[in-house]
Amino acid sequence: MNSFLNAIISGLISGSLYAATALGLTIIYGVSRVFNFAHGIVAVMGAYLAWTLLSSGGQLNLLLGIVVSLGVMYIFGTLVYRFTINPLMKKPGWDISTVLFLLGGGILLENVLLQIYGPRIKSIPVLVDGSIKFGPIVIQWNDLLLIVIAVFGIVVLNMFFKHTRMGQAMRSTAQSMPGAKVVGIDIEKIFGLTFGLAFAVTGFSGVLLSTKYFLNPHIGWEWMVKGFVIVSFGGLGSTNGAIFPGLILGIVEALVTLYLGAMWVWPIWFAIFLIVLLIRPQGILGGRV
Amino acid sequence: MKTLKKLSWKNILIILVGLFVLIYPLVGANSYIKHLFILFFIWSVVAASGNLLNGYAGINSLGNIGFMAIGGYVSGILAKSLGISPWISIIIGGIVTCILVTIFLGLPALRLSGIYIALLTLIFADTLPSILTLTREITGGAMGLHEIPGFLPNMEKIHAYYICFVFFLIAMLIIYRTIHSRTGLAFMALRDSENFATTLGVNRFNERLKVFAISYFLTGLAGGFYVHSLGDISPSTLGIEPFLLGIAMIELGGIGTFAGPILGAAVIVFGGEFLRLAGTLRLSLLGLLICVIILFFPGGIMQLLSQSESFIRKQIKKRKPVEKVQPT
Repeated sequence: MNSFLNAIISGLISGSLYAATALGLTIIYGVSRVFNFAHGIVAVMGAYLAWTLLSSGGQLNLLLGIVVSLGVMYIFGTLVYRFTINPLMKKPGWDISTVLFLLGGGILLENVLLQIYGPRIKSIPVLVDGSIKFGPIVIQWNDLLLIVIAVFGIVVLNMFFKHTRMGQAMRSTAQSMPGAKVVGIDIEKIFGLTFGLAFAVTGFSGVLLSTKYFLNPHIGWEWMVKGFVIVSFGGLGSTNGAIFPGLILGIVEALVTLYLGAMWVWPIWFAIFLIVLLIRPQGILGGRV
Repeated sequence: MKTLKKLSWKNILIILVGLFVLIYPLVGANSYIKHLFILFFIWSVVAASGNLLNGYAGINSLGNIGFMAIGGYVSGILAKSLGISPWISIIIGGIVTCILVTIFLGLPALRLSGIYIALLTLIFADTLPSILTLTREITGGAMGLHEIPGFLPNMEKIHAYYICFVFFLIAMLIIYRTIHSRTGLAFMALRDSENFATTLGVNRFNERLKVFAISYFLTGLAGGFYVHSLGDISPSTLGIEPFLLGIAMIELGGIGTFAGPILGAAVIVFGGEFLRLAGTLRLSLLGLLICVIILFFPGGIMQLLSQSESFIRKQIKKRKPVEKVQPT
């Protein structure tokens, strides 16, 4: 029973992190209909940036490191859009060419990171130390903080989409591209901002994930595939839709690891993905940004 | 008349290359070159059947390498553990791949659009290594299968060479016939304008199922020929590098053209040996190659060829030489 409860708790923690990972994917897809196949490596890049800032300038604290890495990822995202995705989207067959381009680019970046940092595992120190005890259950403060940050981030993003002009412009682009053009929204600018925002969010989720787990250049693919499943579970392009599938899948994963063994995690993820697609391809909680 | 002349030039070239490939092992190719040619035959079938899906039918399938491995594993296990003749086991492998893919991926994927198929196939290929490890007793887990029997007892490289060459020719013929059949026209119409095609009475589900089945049957067969020619297969066959190579071949040669994947496979297989010099940078270079091709040469080698051909034609006809040469 104890191990069951602990598995649920750790599932909730990893689930909220997976939900945070899925956000970046769903933002880009929801607004621009480009599916970011370099998603995992973007998260890994954000985490490595934060790690570099942490380890090189000892006086830089973690928060500053995260802020700087967010800024850099934002700029990187807008640059990627401006110089690669934008020209590609103007050509016919852009859906497949962007997929292949982002895959190739992701592998390129992964191996560049591998050259720079080497294959050794890095880890970002926990944000806060200590733990809290409820009877048999032990929760790390850090994990609790991670959940809070993830949920808070999702809420803030939702506020941004609902209540700011920029967010509203992004939503209207997501709903109807021609409609957005008619009312005078500069689509390309919105796409650029969306890419920047999504890259920053993704990089941040990478930092969160690597405080909980570990960091190496290859881990991004795993995060990305988990993000895919969550996103399709919740409906592509829905920010709220990422939360509950993230939590559900996190718990499922923890229970599978507990009772069947870690080797079953991937087959189970795939089976869930398949079932979701068979029952409701638009996602269980289908909705839009 | 002009087009006839052009066609005949190309045909002559193709026949010459075919003859060269036919005679080369007899007049003194060493074992290494034969090995490369075998890889080329198998890879070009994989790339061409991937192109049938990605280029002609507009279905973003990313799992080709995984399906090739399924065909290879099924055929290898049947031949090695049960002692079935490779000729039969290869075909069983192809059929099993075809059925598995159709049930697990085809039926859900065909109801979905665009990006979901890419996701589904990618995640499927990603799941395979875990499944292989789970079924360690049968598949050998991370160690893979070794000493898989060849096509003939005491098979030598030269036999495998000719067998794979014949397979290559037959597979290309099938793909060519498919593209130029009613089905081919139907799925190209679906790719170009789905609404229009369905209005004209093209059955989206059936046609897509057909192209899925043909493409993955050939991919599964290619996997079978791969294991029986080379003698082993392991989860690293499904790694990220073969996966990238498969994409790079299609993109480099020219997506949506018949000859493109073959040319791409030739360049990647024979040129890829030079990539070994780059050592650990190899994967970065492959990734970069894919990015550069998609950004700057979306038509790949085929586009370059047709552009340079029209350029030369203009030079010969002595019109204004550099008027309409498109910058690439």
